[in-house]
Amino acid sequence: MTPPIALVVGPIFFEDAKWQALAPEVTLKEYRKGTREEFISLLKSGTFDGAEAIFRSNESTAVTGPFTEEIVSVLPSTVKYICHSGAGYDNIDVEACTKRGIQVSNTPHCNEDAVADLTIYLMIGALRQITRPNNALRAGKWRGTIVPGHDPQGKILGILGMGGIGSGVAKRAEAFGMKIQYHNRHPLPSTSTTHPSATYVSFDELLSTSDVISLNLALSHGTEHILGAPEFAQMKKGVVIVNTARGGLIDEEAMIRALDEGKVFSVGLDVFENEPHVDARLLGSEKVVISPHIGAATVETMAAMERLVIENIKSALFDGKLLTQVHEQLVKS
Amino acid sequence: MTKPQVLLLGEIDHAHKAWASISEIADVIEPKARSREEFIKECESGAFDKVVATYRTFQSVAITGLIDEALVKILPKSLKFIAHNGAGYDQIDVHACTAHDIRVSNVPTAVDDATADTNMFLILGALRGFNTSMMALRNGHWKGSPPPPLGHDPQGKVLGILGMGGIGRNLKKKAEAFGMTVQYYNRSKLSEELSGGAKYVSFEELLKTSDILSLNLPLNKQTRHIISTKEFEQMKKGVVIINTARGAVMDEAALVVALEKGQVWSCGLDVFEEEPKVHSGLIANPHVMLVPHMGTWTVETQTKMEIWCIDNVRSAIEKGKLMSPVGEQKDM
Repeated sequence: MTPPIALVVGPIFFEDAKWQALAPEVTLKEYRKGTREEFISLLKSGTFDGAEAIFRSNESTAVTGPFTEEIVSVLPSTVKYICHSGAGYDNIDVEACTKRGIQVSNTPHCNEDAVADLTIYLMIGALRQITRPNNALRAGKWRGTIVPGHDPQGKILGILGMGGIGSGVAKRAEAFGMKIQYHNRHPLPSTSTTHPSATYVSFDELLSTSDVISLNLALSHGTEHILGAPEFAQMKKGVVIVNTARGGLIDEEAMIRALDEGKVFSVGLDVFENEPHVDARLLGSEKVVISPHIGAATVETMAAMERLVIENIKSALFDGKLLTQVHEQLVKS
Repeated sequence: MTKPQVLLLGEIDHAHKAWASISEIADVIEPKARSREEFIKECESGAFDKVVATYRTFQSVAITGLIDEALVKILPKSLKFIAHNGAGYDQIDVHACTAHDIRVSNVPTAVDDATADTNMFLILGALRGFNTSMMALRNGHWKGSPPPPLGHDPQGKVLGILGMGGIGRNLKKKAEAFGMTVQYYNRSKLSEELSGGAKYVSFEELLKTSDILSLNLPLNKQTRHIISTKEFEQMKKGVVIINTARGAVMDEAALVVALEKGQVWSCGLDVFEEEPKVHSGLIANPHVMLVPHMGTWTVETQTKMEIWCIDNVRSAIEKGKLMSPVGEQKDM
């Protein structure tokens, strides 16, 4: 029997040796660097025909662009599995994949610690309005004119989306003396691993009573702009918002207005609506602590994610099933 | 009977009501002096000869200079209490104060949370290398070109705390929520209860085996430059160092060299040897996390600290003793 073919799209940073070790039981093909146009053209011309499993990542989006219907529709008919490195996979049209009989896996738990760590960093930075003194020091002006920030102790943290990352945020925030409340669109099952001391509240109550709001939910059709003008209007004056999930969850225009009006004290953002382009008003604001979508950008976490993708590929090609298939496809099947 | 006088050195920014209540038991006066020279003249003129206690802030050093032997000598004989607003009191020569029968208090405990929060922020910032990414983004380069080196996760790393006082112990609890293992060196070993199960190690072992080293000890004659070239050489290659204590516990110039050599991978600093001056080698280094002495700079903590210090003043006036005398004077 000829060995199955696996195709890697985009870079592998740490576990290339493990990828290479798939051979010769698996035939390896690659498209690590290039452009969307070239990739599509190569797909159409049959260069990757026979491939059964594809290793791609959030980083590969910089090479080929997102796996929209346009790419999914021209993948070789042999493709059965797309194994994605990343917890978020909104850059894959899962519905289009399901229609073509392609199963998709992500790396759901590997980045939980790293993203939760960044969330707390952005939260403290925002509570302290750290940007102004940080900039002033680097410009040789020591502190500039700083306003005192706020302590997290005794404040109410509202977590929107109590999944693995949200639970990690809750655990850490508790160590800083915060009270935790959360809301999920769908109530969690009783066997969930929700942080034990977090109180479930309605969306409205989360908005109106939280001192800090952390977005830790997935972006989907139902959650686009989940924080928009009406939601900002309901929030406490002086609220702090942290978003390490997806930029599209927040109406950036409404958020900027709320910052200007002083409704929102400060924000911490790792993600933006039109990444990699960031609104100049956010870049230039001293009430904003920002980072360029580096939630999982650590040696340890990226290596763990890549290892899980390779394990998914092995399991798919030799056991006929993925280890961490995406939620939507599990529910459907 | 005339009320005793209290000298205010510095500003009250938040606890105005609490400070106003001092006026019920004392007459509050402020110096006209705006420099050490003027302050010395004002003391010698007898302007403060009814002052019993003083409330002083860290920033008031701009008026009086350090409260050293030279200054203590010319303070009015009536002055018996210095209530210092701050945990670190290295600006005050306590030995000289004791010799002149002046009692000194500081503000412990109220500073613990905010300082440990700042410390944790710096640990994450330095370990994850956030500064390079933040700077690249603000300069319009998204993730930077080329992208900066990937950071590291705190999970499973060993945090070595030098100085397991209130702040160090507070930091331990927060660091553990991030999956770090904590070990410490202290002048004396703490009880299991107080240390919360953290491993007590020798100074040498702390240097040799910590992935992240946090400085949480007071500055005094024994601890000046306790971390310098010799100590960097004993540390793990790629160590991350955090300092929210006092700049001078670490040799800043030696730190810059250690960073250049790669002996120290990154650092997170809230304090500097010659504040507000920062070593140019640090400012030029995008891989380090720097903030300008803001450990306790929150509305809530500044208010708590002012109230604590005001309570020391009240205790001095009403009871003839301070609420929280500094360690060196506990048996005075």
